[in-house]
Amino acid sequence: MIRSSALTLSIGYVLLGIVALSLFAMPLWYAWHVFVDGGRAELVQEDAQRLAGIFYTRGPDGLAKIIAQRVELQIANERLLLLTDPSLKPLAGNLNEWPKGVPEPGAYTSVSISVSGRPIRAALVRTELPGGYNLLVGRDLARLQPLETRFWYGLATAVGMFALMGLAGGLLVRRTVLARIERINETAMRIVQGELSHRLPLGRRDDEFDKLSRIINQMLDQIEQLVHGVRNVSNSIAHDLRTPLTELRSRLEEVAVLRPSNEEMLAEVEAAVADVDRVIGIFNALLRLAKIDAGAGHSAFIEVDAADAAAKAVEFYQPSAELKGIRLTFDEKGRAPILCDPVLLAQAIGNLIDNALKFTPEEGKVAVETRRREDGAVEITVADNGPGIPEAEKPKVVERFYRGDASRGTPGVGLGLSLVGAVARLHVGSLDFFDNRPGLRARMVLFGIA
Amino acid sequence: MKILLVEDNERVARFVAKGLRASGHAVDRADNGRDGMSLAARSPYDTIILDRMLPGGIDGLAVIESLRKSGSRTPILILSALSDVDERIRGLRGGGDDYLTKPFAFGELLARLDALARRTPAAGTTPTGLTVGDLHMDLLSRRVTRGERAVLVLPREFKLLEYLMRHEGQVVTRAMLLENVWEYDFDPQTNVVDVHISRLRQKIELESETPLLHTVRNAGYRMGAGD
Repeated sequence: MIRSSALTLSIGYVLLGIVALSLFAMPLWYAWHVFVDGGRAELVQEDAQRLAGIFYTRGPDGLAKIIAQRVELQIANERLLLLTDPSLKPLAGNLNEWPKGVPEPGAYTSVSISVSGRPIRAALVRTELPGGYNLLVGRDLARLQPLETRFWYGLATAVGMFALMGLAGGLLVRRTVLARIERINETAMRIVQGELSHRLPLGRRDDEFDKLSRIINQMLDQIEQLVHGVRNVSNSIAHDLRTPLTELRSRLEEVAVLRPSNEEMLAEVEAAVADVDRVIGIFNALLRLAKIDAGAGHSAFIEVDAADAAAKAVEFYQPSAELKGIRLTFDEKGRAPILCDPVLLAQAIGNLIDNALKFTPEEGKVAVETRRREDGAVEITVADNGPGIPEAEKPKVVERFYRGDASRGTPGVGLGLSLVGAVARLHVGSLDFFDNRPGLRARMVLFGIA
Repeated sequence: MKILLVEDNERVARFVAKGLRASGHAVDRADNGRDGMSLAARSPYDTIILDRMLPGGIDGLAVIESLRKSGSRTPILILSALSDVDERIRGLRGGGDDYLTKPFAFGELLARLDALARRTPAAGTTPTGLTVGDLHMDLLSRRVTRGERAVLVLPREFKLLEYLMRHEGQVVTRAMLLENVWEYDFDPQTNVVDVHISRLRQKIELESETPLLHTVRNAGYRMGAGD
């Protein structure tokens, strides 16, 4: 049998219930016993005293007569009466002989006695009367037996019912729980086998299982996204490295086959080195991205004024902008201190400006702005009046190696904005693109990490 | 110049040694940290090229540490396949003088070696001014003149020109300019440095004047009156 926590739990609860039931019944049983016993002792003793009184006034014969009358009147055989002479020979009463095991005179006791060979349990009072006469008054306890038995039966039935229902409940819970866990297992197994699109079914009850399922589903969404990301990146790497590597290969092969003049050979070798440099550049950019995405490097965080960094970047790109006839401006709105990696911040701002310059037509405008928000975050905005990015493409531009239609024929491998996005993520920030009507407004938000 | 090359990769070491010898330098080679240290202790070198990761338990950083502890002030150029900014900072803090990431262009290595070895001021250098040919830079008044003509430069152009003039006659690479003039420890992947240089060139070289700022193919730039 499968070890099931639901079953173990229900057995535990049943046992607990039985213990509670016993704890409730035992004192009740005891109190009832004490009460009944006490009442009976009083009755028996009263009886004995009254009969002794009769003995004093009317003598042994009188008492014997009364006892005989009483025995005759009696319907049930529950009352025990016996008067004997000093030799313990019965004079009157409903016992044929002096029973065995009768206690000492005076005290009230409940004992087992033997009446004509038949053992009975009885509550007895033995009184010694003058002249050696003995009086025995008592009750047969057997009369109470059915009551006791019924009490025990009741208790046993209650315990039985409890155990039965508890176990049934446990089994029921176990079955439903197991069924749902089984469904989770099945889905999980399918996912393990590679069908990442599977999701756990959600019930309508919104209970704990649904909550768990929902969280697992969210986790699966994330994993699926990551896996797709990795797959895309591998594909892109393969594709983007294959192009320069193919060129390089054919170049070298051509040299080997054609054996050109020394001068031409030299030019080919230089071109080959340039091809290799391109591949190395892509590798370096990818490694850097991977490093940033791994979240390493928080230790290098220092406080930097993002406005200074932006001003420096604008100054750095100014000649390139002028060369293209683009007006590159910087609008500083006060200091913008931020705890960050200064190298990555500079590179991210540089990439944003570089990107804007690349896509803005001649005589265009690129405006850089830094602003410290009230919540302590720093916003760096680079707005241009170039072609902008179509709404549908916006989420894609930060993907590695993504190059939109507008970037055809421009240099670059499509990693610049990926790096900006990664830097923003490292600083718990975001990178968003808005319509600048016309053009693109890229906004990087950084939160300093204390 | 006498150079010690500590590099365990045979191919890289042979390539570098060959290139350095072709450039007129004397090269001693070691392929592990222990040999490198004993060579450095036995004879003085003008510069040491040291691989960051070496076999045999003693890595590049350990070599630098022991050299510096023994009082050696020989300039050390660290070669490393670790391109992280953190790694670079660690190498420089550990006592290295410059850091070059593999794979590198030989021109870059040569330029950096020259810059390291010639930390003694160039000919036309005084505490208050720099002179290359008839180009003069006054470091106190921050004024630049070419012959009788005043050259107006922006603050960053001044810094760029100062760096070039201080390395008169040496090849200065784009990466060196990015690091030293703009303090950018990354490659912006554009030709922005070239644009800056061409603007500076327009200011210091009128058509009638002799060229001072030369472009060195596949390497960088060189400031110099002759050639």
